Amino acid sequence: MSQYDELRECIISGKKARVGELTQQFLDEDKVAKEILDEGLIPGMAVVGKKFQEGEYFIPEMLLSARALNVGLDLLKPHLEASDVKPVATVVVGTVKGDIHDIGKNLVSIMLRGGGFEVIDAGVDVSPNKFVEMAKEANADIIGLSALLTTTMPSMLDTVQAFETDGMRDKVKIMIGGAPLTTEYAEKIGADGYAANASLAVEMAKKLVGV
Amino acid sequence: MLCSRERVQKALNHQEPDRIPLDLGGSGLTGMHVSTVYKLRQALKLDPPGTPVKIVEPYQLLGEIKPDIVEALHVDVVELTGTGTMFGFKKNGWKPWTTFDGTPALVPEGFNTVPETDGRILMYPKGDKSAPPSGEMPKGGFYFDSIIRQDSFDEDNLKIEDNIEEFELISDEDLDFYSVESKRLFENTDKAIFASFPGLGFGDIALVPAPWLKNPKGIRDIEEWYVSLASRREFVKEIFERQCEIALANLDKLYAAVGNRIDVIMMSGTDFGLQSGPFISPNVYRELFKPFNKKLNDWIHENTSWKTFIHSCGSVLVFIPDFIDAGFDILNPVQVAAADMNAENLKKKFGDKVTFWGGGVDTQDTLPFGTPDAVRAEVSERIKIFGPGGGFVFNTIHNIQPKVPIENVLAMYETVREYGNYPIAK
Repeated sequence: MSQYDELRECIISGKKARVGELTQQFLDEDKVAKEILDEGLIPGMAVVGKKFQEGEYFIPEMLLSARALNVGLDLLKPHLEASDVKPVATVVVGTVKGDIHDIGKNLVSIMLRGGGFEVIDAGVDVSPNKFVEMAKEANADIIGLSALLTTTMPSMLDTVQAFETDGMRDKVKIMIGGAPLTTEYAEKIGADGYAANASLAVEMAKKLVGV
Repeated sequence: MLCSRERVQKALNHQEPDRIPLDLGGSGLTGMHVSTVYKLRQALKLDPPGTPVKIVEPYQLLGEIKPDIVEALHVDVVELTGTGTMFGFKKNGWKPWTTFDGTPALVPEGFNTVPETDGRILMYPKGDKSAPPSGEMPKGGFYFDSIIRQDSFDEDNLKIEDNIEEFELISDEDLDFYSVESKRLFENTDKAIFASFPGLGFGDIALVPAPWLKNPKGIRDIEEWYVSLASRREFVKEIFERQCEIALANLDKLYAAVGNRIDVIMMSGTDFGLQSGPFISPNVYRELFKPFNKKLNDWIHENTSWKTFIHSCGSVLVFIPDFIDAGFDILNPVQVAAADMNAENLKKKFGDKVTFWGGGVDTQDTLPFGTPDAVRAEVSERIKIFGPGGGFVFNTIHNIQPKVPIENVLAMYETVREYGNYPIAK
């Protein structure tokens, strides 16, 4: 039995309010934020991802757990920053130009945060240059591009090219996701990876930065 | 040669007609984006250049499929739908409008939109600009999306009434319209009639934000609704129960108005699949959705000759036995490229129990990005797989989107004409 068992279980079952209470309680008890993260929140979300992969959890259950995770992460964030804890890597995510669909992108963001990544959300309808600017500003390791529409898939190519034009392409890994996309499309536009769902996106991101 | 209506009916009865029936524009889920309709009309030389095309569905910007295009392409289905739109205004008072890609169009007078400073355009419920906007299209976009208007709510005091405001008894005025229009289509065309009436599908995510309501209450945020399928099942079930009662009363009225003149009725547009697998648990479908789908479908089969149509995008293999059990006669859009949706397997497993209305060509890849030869190859292969024994109506996988090469669209229809005659060549 670990003292973080209940916290972990509450992430898995998506009990948002209880995650908040427990996280706050641990902080009040002067537990180290990194420990709460590594032993409570992250292992909980790892189970959620596994259950999704195995067909036990579906989108509603994932969203419920993701919301619970977010509550815990928000409470920990100032403490993690104050103690200078380094994230696994920094990811800038956004929905590409012309596209304003964000449910998939938001879910990927939370899953990445749950995987220990620092996530900077660029929002929706993000222009190629904006992605480049934000990547520079955040010193990003990975760029995550999302699109739902066949009409906005070409914006992904434009974004990859904007990184090339700016001489930034070698400094970042680019991964893509969204309904009409495939591994073949990622290869075709010169992206580094494709993930078919939010859980696989975390695995892909880890692979891209070698952890 | 059979007339179109007989052709569709035979296919729906799992018999081989003279050729595979073809749908284009029979519903808001089997149509074509206005900019592609425009290009197609130009390519078929149906209009002088610059002739605008009516946007008959202002949310997805679907273009009107007029009788001349129906004749030119040998389409077998016509649409029977109401006078309203997703944004609550009526389809009348047509005025010119140009899409971002420069397509000349006509839109209803309630389509009141001007570009914002950032270039995007907004849409207002019932065309009323004093109400908060309910739809937006980014600059350069091709479709509207709902703007989520979600008030804060008290988890312990959620009210069913708030989430069923949009479900009401169909007005006498609308019933008269359906009656007259169904007679007109039945008597003046030989096409199969595909009807779409409001309030029959449960939990369709496109409808949850209710972009036609000025001040929707209850759960209206898309993500919040999805979460509710896991955390508030009793609440959702109660919404569906109340909706189902109203829908049953409406079916009775609709049958009195249109009789057996219609052939197909849109019963559900709720998406249960992702590209990669089921969206929700099959158990949640069985517990939450299926009982209500079945109640309405059973009523229809007991009282009418209508065939029931379900649209669900994505990978839905695991749901198909339940769809059939719930009384759906027709499955659409048959998204063959999604996970586990192999065409041969679907035909072999379910081909004698459900009609595949769709699956003709991939609109995510082959049609927009492939060559005309790739389109021909895919279409002829699908005809060979889905055609034998009937139970197949040719349609693309969902609406034909914008930015699709018109040569590909033409290649698709040519191939249907060339390979679609029974008996299907092996």
